[in-house]
Amino acid sequence: MTINQAQTSPLPTVAAETDVALEGPWRVVVLNDPVNLMSYVVLVFRKVFGFSDATARKHMIQVHEDGRSIVWCGLREQAEHYAFVLQHWHLTAILEPNETD
Amino acid sequence: MKRIEVKLSLGVVAPLLDVIKAVEASLEDELAADLPMEQVDVELRDDWRAELVSEQNGDVARLLALFDSDFFASGTVAFDEDNADSILKACAAVRLRLRDRFLDQISDEMLERGDVELEELDDDDRRAFMCYLFLATVQELIIEHLESGILDS
Repeated sequence: MTINQAQTSPLPTVAAETDVALEGPWRVVVLNDPVNLMSYVVLVFRKVFGFSDATARKHMIQVHEDGRSIVWCGLREQAEHYAFVLQHWHLTAILEPNETD
Repeated sequence: MKRIEVKLSLGVVAPLLDVIKAVEASLEDELAADLPMEQVDVELRDDWRAELVSEQNGDVARLLALFDSDFFASGTVAFDEDNADSILKACAAVRLRLRDRFLDQISDEMLERGDVELEELDDDDRRAFMCYLFLATVQELIIEHLESGILDS
């Protein structure tokens, strides 16, 4: 992701909050790309999943630093829907079987 | 409805519109960036891709429509809660395509940091990079001023 104001601003403390459940047979994973702005990725996560700003930033940072973040897990049909919507927003989203199940 | 108007320099932006138009033409039946779809059902894959391409091209057309005769008369473009989603996505699509077609010699790290020496780029690549930055600025403006409307829509 591309540096912008979002990266230079202090990051809010990520409090222990309830994320979307990351359990289920399929997971939606967002991969890093060098093009999309960090602020854009945060906005998309908030819009698509209804994440709080802090949760969206946590996933964005994970994508940026680790190259990937699991943003949702659950049934295949819903996972496909989320991956599809993320791809509409030009994020590199993939489906993976959740091997921890 | 919240709306922002942005005054742009015609002399700076007009040449960049040719870059966006060239990208639009190149996208006719393609996605801006290849998407991994190995886990998508084969039967679903073609429809999935076709819908992504269709929406992508509609978004890019809407971006270009901002720069109409009114823009060339006033130098002003307007963003609001109706067009914000489309323009944001269009900017992302065009930036991804520019990276793929013109800026692929720049490393990911340099591109992420914006650490690019313009003098080292040839004319076409330099113009592509300026367009890449311009569209990022458009995205930042929209997110800064219209975020709440986008999240509520």
